[in-house]
Amino acid sequence: MADDEQDTKEYRWETGYEKTWEAIKEDEDGLVEGLVAEFAQKAARKAVVPRRGPVRLGMMRHVLVAVDCSEAMNSQDLKPSRFLCTLKLLEKFIEEYFDQNPLSQLGLVLMKNKRAEKLTELSGNVRKHLKALQGLTDMALTGEPSLQNTLEFAGRVLKPLPAHASRELLVLFASLTTCDPGDINTTIQALKTEGIRCSVIGLAAEVRICKKLCQDTGGEYGVVLDDVHYRSLLLDSTSPPPRARALDAGLVKMGFPHSAPQTNQTDPGTNADPPITVCMCHLDDGEGVGGEGHLCPQCRSKYCSLPAQCRTCGLTLASAPHLARSYHHLFPVEPYEEVAYEGQAQYCFACLRNFTDIDKQVYRCGRCHEFYCWECESVVSTTLHVCPGCASRPHLYQRLPDSS
Amino acid sequence: MADDDAPSDSSLLVIIVDTNPNQRYITEDPKVLTNCLDAVIAFANSHLMQKARNELAVIGCHFHKSEYLYPTPGKPLDVRQIDGQYELFTLVEKTIKMRLVNLIKSQPPEEKPGESLLAGAVAMALCFIAKFRREATPGLRITARILIVTGSSDTAAQYINYMNVFFTAQKQQVLIDVCSLDKHLSLLQQGCDITGGLYLKVPSLEGLLQYLLWVFLPETSERTKLVLPGRGRVDYRAACFCHRELLTIGYVCSVCLSVFCKFSPICTTCHTVFKIGGPLPIKPKKKKMKV
Repeated sequence: MADDEQDTKEYRWETGYEKTWEAIKEDEDGLVEGLVAEFAQKAARKAVVPRRGPVRLGMMRHVLVAVDCSEAMNSQDLKPSRFLCTLKLLEKFIEEYFDQNPLSQLGLVLMKNKRAEKLTELSGNVRKHLKALQGLTDMALTGEPSLQNTLEFAGRVLKPLPAHASRELLVLFASLTTCDPGDINTTIQALKTEGIRCSVIGLAAEVRICKKLCQDTGGEYGVVLDDVHYRSLLLDSTSPPPRARALDAGLVKMGFPHSAPQTNQTDPGTNADPPITVCMCHLDDGEGVGGEGHLCPQCRSKYCSLPAQCRTCGLTLASAPHLARSYHHLFPVEPYEEVAYEGQAQYCFACLRNFTDIDKQVYRCGRCHEFYCWECESVVSTTLHVCPGCASRPHLYQRLPDSS
Repeated sequence: MADDDAPSDSSLLVIIVDTNPNQRYITEDPKVLTNCLDAVIAFANSHLMQKARNELAVIGCHFHKSEYLYPTPGKPLDVRQIDGQYELFTLVEKTIKMRLVNLIKSQPPEEKPGESLLAGAVAMALCFIAKFRREATPGLRITARILIVTGSSDTAAQYINYMNVFFTAQKQQVLIDVCSLDKHLSLLQQGCDITGGLYLKVPSLEGLLQYLLWVFLPETSERTKLVLPGRGRVDYRAACFCHRELLTIGYVCSVCLSVFCKFSPICTTCHTVFKIGGPLPIKPKKKKMKV
């Protein structure tokens, strides 16, 4: 096939011979402890490949995650079983996804007995997804999955979304077969024309139809080696895809509901709890009756959770912390410089850990000149995004965007 | 969050004490700081008393820098038993007082006290908690929280630092409690709301220890069973990047999520040029709806 020839990536068994054991060298005392620590540091460094270049966030990403619930998920090559391992990793994935993609939405689909069943609606509510996932642990896994039905379902759900949003499907596929009602190639073409990006993570072995699906729709295909690799593949797909970055930029009108009706406090007559109303998001289910809520500033419809799109006037509703989640991309922390440890400092500034012989390298902040251990360095650069030293110095704490 | 109900084996408490001399209650009467410090030390000791495995760290936040008051890096102080008091309590009290004196003495005399940089102190606390979790025995259930005792006001200048710190705390499941001694702190209140901690503005300073012991001493698992001060209403409006004003309806750049109060053709933060055709695609949709 022409597709296969274009794919230049060689298979693992075709690559050269790797002499992994030659990297290990003993020090003067015949110990490898220092070397092991060094390896750990290197691995940690490698894991943190900073995203450089202009900031392009995946705002308005819409991702459907389809989980295979067929017999193949019972296999125990991932511990305790493929299915339980998947659920555990998905929880992590969901948290990370909403962390990376403010104002994005996610939905869960089960590939069950040749059908595609909706588990959760597309929404931005983390708790709802996690709760639904936790309820799955005792589910019986039988039958075959159907890739085509899943694709059709995803197409139906993602099609009506607005054009400026990126639409994606992520399939976690354990089976080596699929039971389809028709020609899957036409479905793939339909998804391609719709611009829905499909990615697949295979739990067993590479399957050609999955590879073709990913190639045609611009997604990524990966097959897991073990649970650690599975985790890294899943977490890789939390960062916004390049296609989403190429979408047209625009200013989006957005409402910030502020829930405090301050007039109530001055007026003694209505000092009681706010009137009981039904929120718009649960209107169909007949739930969501209560006093508290966020009111759309344009039309005063009530919503119980943010972010949401107002059903009445179409305004996107969000709160300031949702947007603030992404500010660390805008104002990144300056990377620390790596210096050989020669007794410059007794302990790490941030965590008070004493530097020992194992610390071959320490890290120095170029602005506040404090020294940090490699563990704190990785915490600061991956999650914290604030230099503890700079943030507590009066002339350094403000990191304004470069005027260039 | 499911295992919130189970009591933890070990609880780490990091207390951040604001010692900035320009807080109103200190400028009015400098001796109050000693009273407040005594209350905080007594509170810290009661935390240690609750469980043998409970751990403590205290960070002093002065206007020129933040520093650990307890534990000390390197060797701990040499303490002998006094009046039958448990040695650890004596150690905590002596170390904190000695290190605080050092911290205050080290302030540059020519500099004017600015605002308290609490975000930096919280960042230090988070690194400390991360180290504590790394080094802990596997299988030990650890909860960690941060208590900020401050009398300063908060300004928008530290907004980004605050938000980064709050989200990291939320990710690491660290609660941030805030005990305000003077003014209402809306930014820190947001942090409490994000991380699930408690916010309390102390009505009278004399009863500080009582407030600390009643409100902030119980662990996360016990808090659900107590009647504690409510969350209150948190103002979550966004401030626009151009005038720093709070908005209810604004425009957000789809590339970098900057907030603006008026439509402008170029984003000032990421220099993206917007398509002016924004409203046009909506019009045909509306027509279709009518048909």
